[in-house]
Amino acid sequence: MILLPCPWCGPRDADEFGYAGEIRPRPDPSTTTPAEWRGYLYLRRNTAGWTRERWFHRMGCRRYLVLERDTTNNDVRPSTDASSGSGS
Amino acid sequence: MSMRLGPRVGEVIDRDEPLSFTWNGRTYPGYAGDTIASALAACGVRVFSRSFKYHRPRGLLTASHLDPGCMVQVDDEPNVRGAHRRVRPGMDVRSQDTWPTLSFDVKAANELARRMLPAGFYYKTFMSPGWLWPAYERVLERFAHGGVVGPGKVSALDGNERYDKRHAHPDVLVAGGGPAGMAAAVTAARSGCSVMLVEEELELGGHLRWGDDVDLTALSELRGRVAATPGIEVLTDAVVLGRYDGNEISVLQRGLPHVAERLVKARARTLVAAPGLIERPYVFAGNDVPGVMLSTAVRRLVNLHAVKPGDRAVVLTANADGDATALDLERAGVEVTRVDARRGGDVTRALGRGRVRAVELGDGRRVECDLLVTATGWTSAVSLLTMAGDQPRYDDTAARFRPDASRLPSDVMATGGVVGDGSCAQLVAHGEATGREAARRSAQSSVTASAAPPPLPVEPHPALFRGRTHGMVDFSEDVSSKDLFTAVEEGFRCPELAKRYTTATMGPAQGKLESVNVVAIIAEATGAAIAETGTTTWRPPYAPVSLGALAGRLREPTRLSPLASWHHSHGAAPLVAGAWIRPDHYGDPVAEAASVRDGVGIIDVTPIGKIDLRGPDVSRLLNLVYVNKWSKLEVGRVRYGVMCGEDGVVIDDGVTGRLAEDRYLMSTTSSGAVTVWEWLESWLQTERPQWRVHATPVTTSYASINVAGPRSRDLLARVVDDVDVAPEAFPYMHVRTGRLAGVPGCVVWRIGFTGELSFELHVPAGYGLHVWERLLEAGRDLGVRPFGVEAQRILRLEKGHLIVGQDTDATTKAYGAALDGLVKLDKDDFVGRPELSWGGQPGDGQRLVGLRMSPDSLVPAEGSQLLDHRGLICGRVTSSRLSPALGRAVCLAQVEAALAEPGRQVTVRLVDGGTARAAVTEQLAQVDPEGVRLRA
Amino acid sequence: MAEAYSALALLRHGVTGRSWTPMWRERPLERGYPVVIIGGGVHGLATAYYLAANHGVTNVAVLDKGYLGGGGSGRNTAILRSNYLTVEGVRFYDRSLELYRGMASALNFNVMFSRRGHLTLAHSDTSLRTMRWRAEVNKASGVDSEVIGPDEVKRLVPEMDTSATARYPVLGALHHPPGGIVRHDAVVWGYARAADRLGVHLHQHTEVTGIEVSGGRVTGVRTNRGPIATPVVLNATAGWASTVSDMAGVPLPVQTFPLQAAVTEPVKPFLRTVVVSGTLHVYVSQTARGELVFGASVDPFASYSTRGSLEFTEGLAGHVLQLMPSLAKLRLLRQWAGLCDMTPDFAPVMGATDVAGFFLDVGWGTYGFKAGPVAGEAMAECIATGQTPEIISAFGLDRFAQGRLVGEKGAAAVGH
Ligand SMILES: Cc1cc2nc3c(=O)[nH]c(=O)nc-3n(C[C@H](O)[C@H](O)[C@H](O)COP(=O)(O)OP(=O)(O)OC[C@H]3O[C@@H](n4cnc5c(N)ncnc54)[C@H](O)[C@@H]3O)c2cc1C
Ligand SMILES: [Zn+2]
Repeated sequence: MILLPCPWCGPRDADEFGYAGEIRPRPDPSTTTPAEWRGYLYLRRNTAGWTRERWFHRMGCRRYLVLERDTTNNDVRPSTDASSGSGS
Repeated sequence: MSMRLGPRVGEVIDRDEPLSFTWNGRTYPGYAGDTIASALAACGVRVFSRSFKYHRPRGLLTASHLDPGCMVQVDDEPNVRGAHRRVRPGMDVRSQDTWPTLSFDVKAANELARRMLPAGFYYKTFMSPGWLWPAYERVLERFAHGGVVGPGKVSALDGNERYDKRHAHPDVLVAGGGPAGMAAAVTAARSGCSVMLVEEELELGGHLRWGDDVDLTALSELRGRVAATPGIEVLTDAVVLGRYDGNEISVLQRGLPHVAERLVKARARTLVAAPGLIERPYVFAGNDVPGVMLSTAVRRLVNLHAVKPGDRAVVLTANADGDATALDLERAGVEVTRVDARRGGDVTRALGRGRVRAVELGDGRRVECDLLVTATGWTSAVSLLTMAGDQPRYDDTAARFRPDASRLPSDVMATGGVVGDGSCAQLVAHGEATGREAARRSAQSSVTASAAPPPLPVEPHPALFRGRTHGMVDFSEDVSSKDLFTAVEEGFRCPELAKRYTTATMGPAQGKLESVNVVAIIAEATGAAIAETGTTTWRPPYAPVSLGALAGRLREPTRLSPLASWHHSHGAAPLVAGAWIRPDHYGDPVAEAASVRDGVGIIDVTPIGKIDLRGPDVSRLLNLVYVNKWSKLEVGRVRYGVMCGEDGVVIDDGVTGRLAEDRYLMSTTSSGAVTVWEWLESWLQTERPQWRVHATPVTTSYASINVAGPRSRDLLARVVDDVDVAPEAFPYMHVRTGRLAGVPGCVVWRIGFTGELSFELHVPAGYGLHVWERLLEAGRDLGVRPFGVEAQRILRLEKGHLIVGQDTDATTKAYGAALDGLVKLDKDDFVGRPELSWGGQPGDGQRLVGLRMSPDSLVPAEGSQLLDHRGLICGRVTSSRLSPALGRAVCLAQVEAALAEPGRQVTVRLVDGGTARAAVTEQLAQVDPEGVRLRA
Repeated sequence: MAEAYSALALLRHGVTGRSWTPMWRERPLERGYPVVIIGGGVHGLATAYYLAANHGVTNVAVLDKGYLGGGGSGRNTAILRSNYLTVEGVRFYDRSLELYRGMASALNFNVMFSRRGHLTLAHSDTSLRTMRWRAEVNKASGVDSEVIGPDEVKRLVPEMDTSATARYPVLGALHHPPGGIVRHDAVVWGYARAADRLGVHLHQHTEVTGIEVSGGRVTGVRTNRGPIATPVVLNATAGWASTVSDMAGVPLPVQTFPLQAAVTEPVKPFLRTVVVSGTLHVYVSQTARGELVFGASVDPFASYSTRGSLEFTEGLAGHVLQLMPSLAKLRLLRQWAGLCDMTPDFAPVMGATDVAGFFLDVGWGTYGFKAGPVAGEAMAECIATGQTPEIISAFGLDRFAQGRLVGEKGAAAVGH
C-alpha cells in the first residue's frame, strides 16, 4: 500500500485516507450555465501522469489535504495544504 | 524396499524419532525431519501423482516446495507440497484426482487420444450442436486437477487452526537465507539495523545444506554468526509472498505453535532479495517419467534425507553441481553414467512409464537405468525484484535472465545467486557489501542510492533449454514444447498469448520452474532471440497462500448501542443495518406499532447520526448544505432539512436544532452519519475555509431514545428533572436541554417521525441504559413498551414520511422526493441549487407519491413495478406495509411525473406475475395528514 | 485461408500431424483505412467483426499498443448476466447474452460459455429490496430473475454459511439462471480470427500517439509505426479512454480505477453458480479447471497502475471466508489488476461525438466484457449507417451535458 505524506501526521498508509479526487474549480453557481456546471460535475481530466488531488485524512488529523500523485505508478509528493483554498 | 541410506553428515532427519503415517490408506514409516516425499521415497515410493491432462504418472522432480509432481491431500488440506511439508505422526496423506487408484488411473486413457487433444483443442470443438455443450462441460470439469475442499471435508477451524497477523517494521528485510542472505543480515545487524531474515525452507543455509564438507563447514560458521548477532530475527519455513508499493512486504510464516499460519506484514526500509537460483528442468521426450530428477533434487534426497533415489543413474551434467551430484550418488552406492553436456553430450529420450527404465543418449547409445539426473542450468528467482519494477535481461554468457539493478527503486537491493555466480566466499562478500549498503540506506530518511556492491562474476554456462526431442515444459499443466510450437504456428507469437493459449505457467507451480523454458522455446519457434522475446510479468503471491492466512481473524466491526444488552435479553430480533445491529422487533411489531398509536412506546434510535456544530458561522453552513432556509432558526427550535449533492440528488435528511447562540446539534440518517460529517468538513475546509465552524461527530456520545405516542408527554414528565414539557412550554419542533432521570447534559427535541406526539432524547451514552429503564419503569401504568425498527417503519409509512435511500434512489432529485416545497431557490447559494433550478419541470423524471391499492388490503412487495396503460414500466413501489391503523395497504411509490397526480390509475405488477390496480393518493400521509396528533 | 474447426478437423490433424493455419495473420500496416479502431479488446474486435460481417465494411484496421486482449478483456472475471436495474440496461445486456449463446457456432470457435446461474446475495433488508426491484424489472422485460430465500441459496451453494448468526447473514438472493461465465481469451481470439478471415487487419504493438482533426473532422491517426489516414476512428480503449479522447479534444466523464482479481489453485468442482455479495464486495466462480476466480470492487483511488495490493487479497479472503468458511485452506495462486473506465452513472458512453468521424465505445467500467458482442454489433451499425441504433440511444455522451443520467446507479449506489 502506498504511503501518503500528511503534512500534519507524517507518512501514513493510504487506507487511512478518503480519496476525494482530482481538484476541479467550482464554477460560480449564480452565473454558471448548464454546460459549464455539468462539465464540473461529470467531466474528469483523468490524467495518466502527475495530478493534483485531494485526500481526507479520515483516520488521522481529519484534514483535507492536497497531494500530487503520478497515476501511472502512484508515486506521491507533497503539495500545499487544502485549507489554502480550493486551488485549481 | 527400503531406499534409506546410512547416516549422512548433513542429514536433517532424526533417527531417534521414528514415526508412522498413512499414504493412500497404507501405513508407512518415517523419521522426524522427513518430508512427506522423502519418507515415502525412502520406502521405495516413486509415483506421487498423476498429471493434469493425460494422467501420466509423476514422481519427484525438484524434491522441494516447487515440486509439481508431489501435490497431495493431507487430511482436509488440498494441494499440499509433499516435498516440503514435514511428515507428522498419524498424518493421512492421499494422492489427488486419481481414480480408482494412483497406480491404475482410468483417465490415463487420455494419453491415447493425446494427438487429438493438442493445446487449446477445446476451442476447436463442441461448437455444435449447442445443446450438447453443457454435457461436454460436465465431462471437462471432471478433469479439474486438485484436491478437495468444502463441507464434510473440512472440520470447523479449531484451536490450532486459527490464523493471525503481525505487523513488523524492520530496517532491513532479507528474503532468502542462503550464504549471501545470511551474510547480508549479519552485516546489516552489526551496523545497528533491526533485521528480519526470512527463509522459505525449514532451516537456513540455502544450497550449502546439501553441499560437500567445505559447504557444510561454511554453513555452520554462517549459522553461528547469525545466531550470535543481536538484532536479527530469523523466520524459517516462512516465505516472502510479495513486495508491494511503499516497500510493504508480505511474509507467510508456517510451522508455528498455536496458529496454523501467520501473515507478517512488514514495512521494511530496505528489502534485500537473496532468493538464489532455481534449477531449470531440461525439455526432452520422457522428461516427466518418474525417476527423471534435477540434480538439486538428488542432492537433497541423498544428503538431507538419506534417501537413495535409484540404483543405476545417468547424470546429464552441464555444471559443477551436476558433477557433484554424480559424486554424491556414487558415494551412496549408485552406479553412475556421466553424460557431459559441456562436451556435447545429450539425452534425447527417457523410456519407461511408471519409472525410468532406460535413456537414449544424443550419440544414439541406450543406457539402462532407473534414475536420470539433469543439471542443465539455472533460473534466477527474480519475481520479488520484478514486483519492485525490475525487468530482467537475458544474459547469453550465463544462459539465464539476470536482474537489471538499475531499474530497482533505492529501497530494494539484490544479492547472491540471483545476481551472479561465484564461490561461497564471493557470495558471502557480496552479501556483506549489500548488507552494509542496505544499512546505510535504511539509516537515511530520504534515501539516495550510492555504492552498489561490486558485481559478482558471471560464469559461462551452456544454453540448454530443449534437446532434440519434444518434452514437458509445464509439468503441472501438462504443456509440452510441441504445444508451444503449435501455439506459435497458430499465431500466438507473443509469449503472453502463447501462455494463455497453452496455459503454460498458469498452474500451481506459477511458472517458477518453467517460465524461462517457455520463453526459450517460443524464441526457438518464432526464430527470434531469447533476449527480444522477453520475459514475463511476475505477480504476487510468490508462493500460493491460504485464504485463511490472508484473512486472519474476522475484521468486521459491529456497532452496538449502549442499550444492546437490554435488547438482547428482552428477545429483540436483530436487524443488520450497515455496521449496526438493531432491534427489528421484540416479537410483535404490529402490537408495538399499536401501542405507539394508542399509548406510548420507546425506541432506541442511537444509530441516528449526530454532529455537534459550534461557531459563529453555523447558520451559514446550514444554509449552504440544506436546500431550505436556516438563517432565522431561533435558539430552542429544530427544523427538518434535506441535503442534496451538487447534482441535486437527495443525499440525506434529518433535523437540526439550535441549542444556544452558536451551538447546534445536527442529526443525519444512520447510514449518512459519517458521510455527512465528511461532507460538512469538505465544504468547511475547501470551499469555505474562512467560516468559523467546528463540526464534531457525536453519534455514539449519546444514546438516543424516541418516546412516541399520545401518552409520551405524560411519561416524559415523570422522568424530566428540569425541563418543562407542557404543550405551551415545549411546542412541536422545539428543543430543550436539561437533566433527565438525574442525568445532566441531555438534549430533547420534540419531533415526530412516527407521526405521533413524540420526544427524542439524546442522553450521554453511559447513562442511556439508566434512562431507558427509568422510562419503562415510570411508564408501566401507561402501558409503555419498547418498539423496534419494523414498528417504526409501519408508523412512518402511515404518516407518509420518506426514508432517503429507500423512497429515493441515487438519481432522485429533491423535487422527485416530493420535497419541492422545501427547496428555496431564492437563497443565493446552496449545494444543488443550479441543478434544482434547471430541473423539476412537469413531466421530468419520477415523483414520490402515495398509492391506494385495490383491493385495498393487497400489499405489493417493495420493488414491485408499476405499469402504465401501455403496459410499460412507469415506476415502482418503494415502501409498503399493511397499516394496522387503517386496516389496508399503505404504499409509497416513485412514478413518472406525468402520472403523479392524485387519482391517476396505474397497474401494479405483482411478484407472482399477477396485477392489481392502484390509484395515486392525495397526500403521502394516510394517517393524520393534517398533523394534529404530532402537534398535540 | 484458415480452415474450419470441428471434432473431425481435430481428428484429421491428429492423424496426419498436419499443422493448423494461424488464427490471424500479421499484415503490413497500410497508409490509410476507411475505419480505424483503437483498442484490440473485445469491444474493438467485435466492432471490426460486425462491420465486416453485417455491413460489408472489411477494410478495417484494429490497432492495439500491446497484444490482443491485453487490456481488460484478458484480465476480467468473465461474468455474464443481464439482470440489470434499468429497462435500457436489461434490454441491452440481454441482447449481448443472446449473442454469447450463439457465439460458438457463429464464430466457429468454442468460447465455452457456461450458463450456470448467477446469485447476488442480500445481507440486509435494504439490499433484499433492491434485489426485488431488479428481479421485477427483469421479469417485466422477459428476463429470468427471481428473489430466492436462504434455503434455496443453501441448496444451490452448499458451502455457503446461511446461518442467521453470520455477521452478514444471507437473507436471500437475486437468482438469475441465464447468467454464467465464459472463457474471456476465447472470445477475444474468436472475434479476432473471424474478423481476420473477413479481411480485417489486426495490428498488435501499434500504439496510437495522436489523432488528426481538421475542420472538426477526423483525418487520421499517428502511431508509433507511422501515420494512417482515416475519416473514422473508434475509441475502444476502456481504461485508457481518456488518454485517447484527449487526442481528439473530446473530454470524457470517465475516471480510471484499477480493479483487482485473483485465482486459487484448482480443487475439484464444488461451486456451480456465480456468487456475488455486494455488501462484502466480493464475487466468486469456479472455472472448469477447478480454480476459484475472485473479484472485488474497484480500488479506493483512481490510478493507471496495475500493480495490485496486499490489502486487496486480505480483504478478499476475509470476505470469502465469511461466505464459505470451509475454504480457509484453499490457496490463492495469483492476483492481478486491470483498468476500469468508470462513469458517474455506471453506464457506458457510446456513439458519435462533436468531432465528426470520432466515435466512442467507452465507459465500460467493471462490467463491459459481457457487453462486448452487443456493443460491437451496435457500434458497427452506428459507424456503417451513421445512425445511432435505438438499443444504445440512452448511452450517448450528450446525456451528461443534458443532465439525463442513466439510472443504473440506483442499484450500485443505494448503499444504505
Ligand atoms: C479484474 C477485472 C474483472 C472484470 N470482470 C468483469 C466481469 O466479470 N464481467 C464483465 O462484463 N466485465 C468485467 N470487467 C470489465 C471488462 O474487462 C472491461 O469492461 C472490458 O474488457 C472492456 O473491453 P474493451 O475491449 O473495451 O477494452 P480492453 O480490453 O481494455 O481493450 C482496450 C485496448 O486498448 C488498447 N489501447 C489503449 N490505449 C491505446 C493506444 N493509445 N493505442 C492503441 N491501443 C491502445 C489497450 O492495449 C487494450 O488492449 C472486469 C475488469 C477487470 C479489470
Ligand atoms: Zn493527518
